[in-house]
Amino acid sequence: MSGLLDPFGLLRDAAYGAERLGRSLIGQDRIRLAVTGLTRAGKTVFLTSLLANLLAAGRGRRTLPALEEVAGGRLRVVRPVPAGLEGLPRFDVAAHLAALAADPPAWPARTEDLSTLELELELDRQSVLAGLLGTRTVTLELLDYPGEWLLDLPMLAEDYAQWASATLARMRRGPRAEASAEFLAFIESLPPGAPAEESLVRRGAALYRDSLRACRDRLGFRFLQPGRLLNPGPRGETPLMWFFPLPQDARGGLATLVAERHAAYVETQRREFFEPYFRRFERQAVLVDVLGALHAGKEAFEDTAEALAAIANALRYGGGWLDRLTGVGVSRVGFVATKADHVPARQRDALAALLGHLVAAPQGRATHAGVTTSVHALASIRCTEDDVATLEGRPVAAVRGVLLSNRRSAKVYPGEIPLRPPEPGFWAHGFFEMPEFQPPRLDAAGGAGVPHLGLDTLLAALIGDVL
Amino acid sequence: MSDWQPPRGPRIIPEEEAPAPMPEPPPSAGPKVIIEEDRPAPRLDFQWEQAVVPVAPTRPSVRWSGIGRAIGGLALLGGGLAALDAANFVADQFARGAMQGWATLGVVAGGVALLGSGLWREVRGLATIRAVDRARAAFARGDLAVAKAEALRWAASVQEAAPLQPAIRDARSVEELAALLQPTLATLEARAAAMGRTAAMQSFAMTAISPSPGLDVLVFAWRGVRLVRQVASLHGLRPGLAGTVALLRRTLLDAATVAATDVAVDAAARALLSNRLLEQFAGEAAAGAVAARRMLRLAKVAAEACRILPPG
Repeated sequence: MSGLLDPFGLLRDAAYGAERLGRSLIGQDRIRLAVTGLTRAGKTVFLTSLLANLLAAGRGRRTLPALEEVAGGRLRVVRPVPAGLEGLPRFDVAAHLAALAADPPAWPARTEDLSTLELELELDRQSVLAGLLGTRTVTLELLDYPGEWLLDLPMLAEDYAQWASATLARMRRGPRAEASAEFLAFIESLPPGAPAEESLVRRGAALYRDSLRACRDRLGFRFLQPGRLLNPGPRGETPLMWFFPLPQDARGGLATLVAERHAAYVETQRREFFEPYFRRFERQAVLVDVLGALHAGKEAFEDTAEALAAIANALRYGGGWLDRLTGVGVSRVGFVATKADHVPARQRDALAALLGHLVAAPQGRATHAGVTTSVHALASIRCTEDDVATLEGRPVAAVRGVLLSNRRSAKVYPGEIPLRPPEPGFWAHGFFEMPEFQPPRLDAAGGAGVPHLGLDTLLAALIGDVL
Repeated sequence: MSDWQPPRGPRIIPEEEAPAPMPEPPPSAGPKVIIEEDRPAPRLDFQWEQAVVPVAPTRPSVRWSGIGRAIGGLALLGGGLAALDAANFVADQFARGAMQGWATLGVVAGGVALLGSGLWREVRGLATIRAVDRARAAFARGDLAVAKAEALRWAASVQEAAPLQPAIRDARSVEELAALLQPTLATLEARAAAMGRTAAMQSFAMTAISPSPGLDVLVFAWRGVRLVRQVASLHGLRPGLAGTVALLRRTLLDAATVAATDVAVDAAARALLSNRLLEQFAGEAAAGAVAARRMLRLAKVAAEACRILPPG
């Protein structure tokens, strides 16, 4: 229905669809791959690995065998598209690779701004008329962004009252209530009809931000809004972000001010982030740190599922008559359990099966819209090797890696990965934080790509049909 | 059959402690991290560089598309039936008399030879265009041996580049090779731009004097194709019909983006002038200017399509 409400958006969709169709007809396909993932899901490392391995594959290296197979040996060159007039920073794959290969190595820091990069894949044609028609190209558009911002997407469809009531309900539930106690006490203590006093608003926003941070960093929760309050981006915090949920019955200047700021914030995010980058895309990789959610406890696990479902509900997968008319829509979605090298090979199928249950709602929605979906377990950069550990005198499958913090070799038994959402007894072992491993030895120039697990299978599923 | 189950909770076990059975916290105590090893360990090495070395390239599979099959069928029918017909005719002529037979055979053989040589030239013309692709791919992936071979082939076919051949043979890296070729390519591009200016002047003049817009299009198309072939021969390519079509296809995308701006420029020029006489004059002049600009652009993109170094 959004198209009917926004005729200019519909026109832009039609122009976009026509452009893609025209490009496809002359063998110059252009595909926007939306990499969506909650914070710490590994988007930046995923993009670094994807770019490094695709560029290496373009130099003839066999870094992505499954992709090579679907391309039928026709991939000739892969090159980054030279910078044009973009107003966004470019994704610095060389700097990320250099940091990972350095001694001591460093994983990419938390992403704080948008960055983009386009790759051009040059391929031979499959047709017998290939000699006459020449090569064709597929341009992949990629975007990196702070994962926290993605959680603002479900806010677009809600007004302040709906958002505040849903947010407060979540905050009062389970361990969040304890982490948010100070903020909850603050809003309870506000007098009815509290005025729009600057110090009051600042204090409320600061307490709300602290409770969000505690939920993210201590409890491993992901469904935290607004995202920019947690990760304000390069410009830092602005007064637009100083709002917080108030109970339904709140009246007065303060309630009006926070509702106005909420509306202005949502509009800004819609205009500056979602409309340009998430309104239209053709392929999607949904990255989920399943293991992190599993180890963070029952509530965090359920919170991750809820966040993924909310994001999927807010995205356009196409399938409607307007989408068919304008030629806009998603054709393939891959759900990906990242950091699969943290479990031994025999448990990776269980990890993928568990992800399948976790994303059942978004997957169902995408499938209903006619989108081809698949579920994968992947390690963007493989940091461990399989090993056997002995627990209570019994051998168990484990992984071995070098810890980032103290450079010591350690075996990790990641626990039993359930095939479906775990039963209550599973959570008895409590919170566990998987240690960070050092990346393996890498070539800083990235000439041969980087070791990975399953990246080629994912790419074959996502873009294999256009190669 | 043992009823022992692995503990459900994750845990970290330092390597040296693993083999010996020792008192461990029970699985129900939950995961924990135990690090006792004192010496820092080296980073894992998967020998990735060796694992991904290129192997012999797989031969790309060829797919017969619908149009390809139809064209193939037509060619087989046309060529095969004509050959059978010609053979029967020659046999019939021999039945009438030896002289008629030999004369007919000579005519058929001459015709087939001319047809064959024409096709052979087309294939060779197309192959030279493909050589540009091979050279670019070699430069892009840093394959010095192939890049050098292609550069030598190119230098042998381009007069301006002939003196570079010894230096090309001695080049030690792809970057060095690219730096060697760059000045000559710049010269060729300048000459292509000059050709584009000449073509632009001619199309401007022709558009101004031509009596109908339909003729404009024909003149522009003929001059455009001629320009592309001129620029190609500048770069040592001798494209036949198929080669010219392949070259024109490469310029299509850029030409299409230029066309979109042309429409806007033309509309703006017409909207600004309301006087009928002025409108008539300015409209024709604007059309001529647009045609001229297209020629300049065509020369540039054709030169880019013929470069043996990747653009950018």
